[in-house]
Amino acid sequence: MRLRQLRDRIPSRPDLRVFAGYCLAAAVYVAIGVAVTDFLLSFWVGVAYIAIAAWLVPALVRRLT
Amino acid sequence: MSWAAHDLEPYAFQRHLNLKVAFVPLLIGSYSPDMMTKWFVYGIHLGPWDLKASNPAQFHRGWPGFGFTHSLIYGLVIGLIIWKVFGSKLWGLSFVIGQFAHALTDTGDTVGTMLLFPWTFHFHLDAWAYAGQTGRMTDAAAYFSGLGSMWDAVWMVYGLYCWRVLTSDYFDHYIYRADRFWPWINRWIPRGALLTVYRAAFFYGTSRWIAWTIWAHVIHHYPYDLSWGGPHWVDAAHP
Repeated sequence: MRLRQLRDRIPSRPDLRVFAGYCLAAAVYVAIGVAVTDFLLSFWVGVAYIAIAAWLVPALVRRLT
Repeated sequence: MSWAAHDLEPYAFQRHLNLKVAFVPLLIGSYSPDMMTKWFVYGIHLGPWDLKASNPAQFHRGWPGFGFTHSLIYGLVIGLIIWKVFGSKLWGLSFVIGQFAHALTDTGDTVGTMLLFPWTFHFHLDAWAYAGQTGRMTDAAAYFSGLGSMWDAVWMVYGLYCWRVLTSDYFDHYIYRADRFWPWINRWIPRGALLTVYRAAFFYGTSRWIAWTIWAHVIHHYPYDLSWGGPHWVDAAHP
């Protein structure tokens, strides 16, 4: 029972893999944003960026491999 | 004003309300008070013209001005319109929750909000300086040097603590099920893309918080001032 509760609280390996991908995308976003602050100003730029970085690129890579 | 809290708060509410709210109107509600006004607060260049409010704080939060967008009655009226026009009580209610969160959070700065408009009294806690009138960059530097950014950090940490709300399982079981919008848009956009869009505001709020903090303190060395009402190196606006 306790083990199950613990498992519910700790992210699984696939969860952590996804999280790592978003962290990588965030690192690039932050680097661009610090250099060009205009990049940080638009919510829609942020949405487009994350859709490309976290969905489109991985989907294309999956399809190619 | 807050720079990241309005991106992050909806996830915290979502965590506690699960199927009782729809995420899209919750987020729209959270953004709505600033949607039409922020550009004029900071000003824009349009060809030969410089468009900017002569008194940004008054325009943004006051009356006469667009301060009524930060009142509770504005949220209720728009929520009611959404309910009646689109026939969705869930959308109306979710909008109201998001808009209330924004209006209440913005009482944290030195200008505050007219929560009980048409009563034009500004509720303000004075925890951090309102510096919108100084321009976008100085405002960013001031905001990310004071308690406002710490308040954003609270929502960021809480969001990470509630990490389940960002998972694929949660999206399938609560976000997608609670609101017909998702199955409708899923006819054209794949589920993986929708999941990413659902996470986007959290990503955006957190990433820009980190980026502006680095910009203000690593690149430009603005001093932190976490005292109440700070940073005091900027001229804060008051109602």
